[in-house]
Amino acid sequence: MADSPISVLGPRPIPEHTIITGAAGWLGQGLCNLLTDPTSRYYRPTPITGIVRNSEEAALLAGIAGVTTLIGDVTDASAMLNALADADAGPTTDLIHTAGVIHPVRLSDFEAINAGGTRNVVEAAAKAGVRRMVHVSSNSPFGLNPDRNDTFRHEEPYRPYLGYGLSKMRGEQAVSDACRAGILDAVMVRPPWFYGPWQPLRQTTFFKMVGSGKFPMFGGGRQRRSMVYIENLVQGIVRAELSDASPGSAWWVADAQAYTVAEIVSTVQAARRAEGLQSKDGGIKVPQFVAGGAVAADRLLQRFGKYKQEIHVLGEMGATIACDISVTRAELGYDPEIDLLEGMRRSIRWCQARGIDLG
Amino acid sequence: MSAANANRPRASESRGDGVRRRSPGEDRNADRSLDCEILIVGSGAGGSTTATVLAEAGFDVLIAEEGAWVDQGSVIPFSLAQMDSQYRSGGVTVALGAPSIAYTEGRCAGGGTEVNSGLYRRPPGEVIDRWRSQYQIRDLDPAELDSIADEVEKELSVCLTPGTPSEPSRILRDGAEALGWQNSEIPRWMTYPEGTTGFRGERQSMTRTYLPRAMAAGARLVTGLTIDRLITSNGRATSATARQDGRPVTVRFRHVIVCGGAIQTPALLQRSGIRKHIGRSLAVHPTVKLAARFDHEVNVPDDVPVHQVKEFAPALSFGGSASNPGLVALSLSDSWRDFAPAVEAWPSISVYYAAITSEGRGVVQAVPGMRDPIVTYRLTRRDKDLLRSGLARLALLMLAAGAQEVYPSFRGAPIVRNRGDLATLQERFAAAKASVMTVHLCSTVPLGEDRSRCGADSYGRVHGYPNVFVNDASLLPDAPGVNPQGSVMALAIRNARHFARTERPRG
Amino acid sequence: MDSAPLVERLAAPFVAQLLRHDLPGLPSAHLDDTVKFIRRRFSSLPSFVRFGVTVIGAVVRAISIGPAEQPVLRFLAARPLPLFGEYVRLTRSLGYAYIWETWPDTLADGTPS
Repeated sequence: MADSPISVLGPRPIPEHTIITGAAGWLGQGLCNLLTDPTSRYYRPTPITGIVRNSEEAALLAGIAGVTTLIGDVTDASAMLNALADADAGPTTDLIHTAGVIHPVRLSDFEAINAGGTRNVVEAAAKAGVRRMVHVSSNSPFGLNPDRNDTFRHEEPYRPYLGYGLSKMRGEQAVSDACRAGILDAVMVRPPWFYGPWQPLRQTTFFKMVGSGKFPMFGGGRQRRSMVYIENLVQGIVRAELSDASPGSAWWVADAQAYTVAEIVSTVQAARRAEGLQSKDGGIKVPQFVAGGAVAADRLLQRFGKYKQEIHVLGEMGATIACDISVTRAELGYDPEIDLLEGMRRSIRWCQARGIDLG
Repeated sequence: MSAANANRPRASESRGDGVRRRSPGEDRNADRSLDCEILIVGSGAGGSTTATVLAEAGFDVLIAEEGAWVDQGSVIPFSLAQMDSQYRSGGVTVALGAPSIAYTEGRCAGGGTEVNSGLYRRPPGEVIDRWRSQYQIRDLDPAELDSIADEVEKELSVCLTPGTPSEPSRILRDGAEALGWQNSEIPRWMTYPEGTTGFRGERQSMTRTYLPRAMAAGARLVTGLTIDRLITSNGRATSATARQDGRPVTVRFRHVIVCGGAIQTPALLQRSGIRKHIGRSLAVHPTVKLAARFDHEVNVPDDVPVHQVKEFAPALSFGGSASNPGLVALSLSDSWRDFAPAVEAWPSISVYYAAITSEGRGVVQAVPGMRDPIVTYRLTRRDKDLLRSGLARLALLMLAAGAQEVYPSFRGAPIVRNRGDLATLQERFAAAKASVMTVHLCSTVPLGEDRSRCGADSYGRVHGYPNVFVNDASLLPDAPGVNPQGSVMALAIRNARHFARTERPRG
Repeated sequence: MDSAPLVERLAAPFVAQLLRHDLPGLPSAHLDDTVKFIRRRFSSLPSFVRFGVTVIGAVVRAISIGPAEQPVLRFLAARPLPLFGEYVRLTRSLGYAYIWETWPDTLADGTPS
């Protein structure tokens, strides 16, 4: 059933117009490409407007037929209102909100972009009367699993993980509040760690570290992490968009099951070899308490308004973040078809096609 | 040997049973003594079933029970009066640690079975398998335990509650359903005479079931008798020093089976010089609580909900707690400054718990000269994270069930009115600020052939002591993640039958 | 009263003061009953807990002399100190459980309804 352009992804028809915020980001580019590629099963012949921050970002999307760009920063409320008005957003428009920051330059970016930006987009979408908004959230509002064997269910209590988690939680709350007030039809998808083509620089570093056998494995690498290949994520987003679920609904969108960090490392190493790249085995064994130290350092830094990406990523690597997609399957018909090995192979091939050195 | 007592004994009779009475003129200070073939210490879930199997096999059995015989129905369940008369230390017993964990021990004929929730669960198959392989327990056969469980369920009239569930039960079920979390009604050992339902049923505790049966088969029950020490010589126990009404009593026996529960059993053995792998691996089900208020009356003062949420088992489970007004006030007391006004609405409030299976363990240590052992417990980081997550998920369930306000029982807790408040709950929670408690205690004399950690062999015989046995919750190698009484009874009956096959009754 | 166990004699004044502080509306008769109940429970505590409560009770009694009594009480009532915090918590737990089980319609400040 993979890659069939005829498959129906939801009861609602494809919208006459699709607006994507954060269109030049990793997920944004993925959406722009897949929604406009006639060989992709997510292809839609109707126009797509990508909202980007500046002309450099617009240039990234210049080559994609079917995508028009509009300049507007989500942190600017009136810019969003204007952008949706310029794009003629209305009852036959769907809006997919992917704009957000994961690793900020300044800590205050979290609140400004993820919370404030979402509020602005929600307000603009409500004013324009869009048919549906899909908000791309995260696992971060729910924190870490309390135990290696625990898995987040469809509904969980909030426990925002540091600055990012708090800002994403506030973003969710802005969406939920608007739905509850009856002014907007919006749904949310919650992807965990995602990977795949159009990936940023930090993913290249990840491939290199794994290939050289230097990826840190805390406590034997037995902690579990859910991941999602970008095409699976796009499937989830589109299914959520075209579903008849009630406003305010939210779903985990992830690969079929969580992997242990040890499995992730060995699978990436296998994918490298399958694509003709050299790869060492294993990783660097690090005692679990080092991750705890990194978390503590991260927390301390953030309390003082500082953000250090390496420390943050290190801290999170010791954690289990695993989610259960059974309700997403049942309610949306979501079926993540690309598994970790295949997804990693495709990512490597995408990098190689662009001459990116993966070590 | 005294004649079998065919009638159900009343408290005043059973006190005198089997104790040699002084004749007029006899030295008032002469020690009193008791003789038997098998001394069973404690008359709870383990002691009563052991006594029944052995008495029916023809052994001369004496059950020494520290507490009194209290008839079911003569005290209000979960009341302070019940804590006075049927619990050790008025119900105020604690395992020291950071945080300390409050626990309860029954101290009466029938032990904990007289005062617990009555919820019955079979020993879980995967737990039995794990115990067998990890502790090298010989012939621990799930099929055999299942078949014993069938018998126990029949003897105790284990059944679901007839009629509609109580409000507190329904809340748990409906909240779980709304979230898609697996939940079920747990059966109880209760009979329901014509027209009764819920808490008006008759609890089929040991005083109503196995104890009368044991006594009908000739077992003697002596209440108010405290066993202090076992006297050993050449690796065999020969007698026990005891007290009744403050006066010394000696009990002589051929075999002794200690069934005092996971705290008193290791304490007695330690006082008797039996120490190897005794009291070092206490396992409990730590719980944290919350009170939830609804927009209508929900409170049922003297019963507990029969529904449990098992979605996150074995790591986490949710259920309901006794919620009389005093217990509602208690659950609000950790954060009294903010929660106090809610106490006036107690008819709309019910108390619930989140329980975890704990990685951490504790120690029971008898101290010379002190009547009670010192008990300590250590929660691991993961245990504390699970307690937090469990309490937050339980609070979410309450919101999903329609609660107006949720009061989590820890110092500085926020009143939870919506999902955003759950973030505040999790941020402020620390196990050290919560009233952590447990009503299940196990594992202080784990059974098995693994000599590096088992205190007793595969059938409960204490390693190194051919005539000293344990047959209560102390034997369970770890806390099973479900209400343990069913497991205690199945294991005790299995062990007692093995004893009866391998030892012969005298005469 | 002299023949009462040490732990009871040491704790009784503090227990009474703490409950009066927490629940200003509690009538004297109810307070007396509650203190009697808490004293009984203190006496039946497990040995090592009773020992601890006795020692802490003695220390609190010793420092709560004359004008210091009220400030010490307010300090202990408000602060979750190690050990002393447990003493306060035990007293409150027993006291509140007793009051609301015995007089369920008591208001939040101890006033009988």
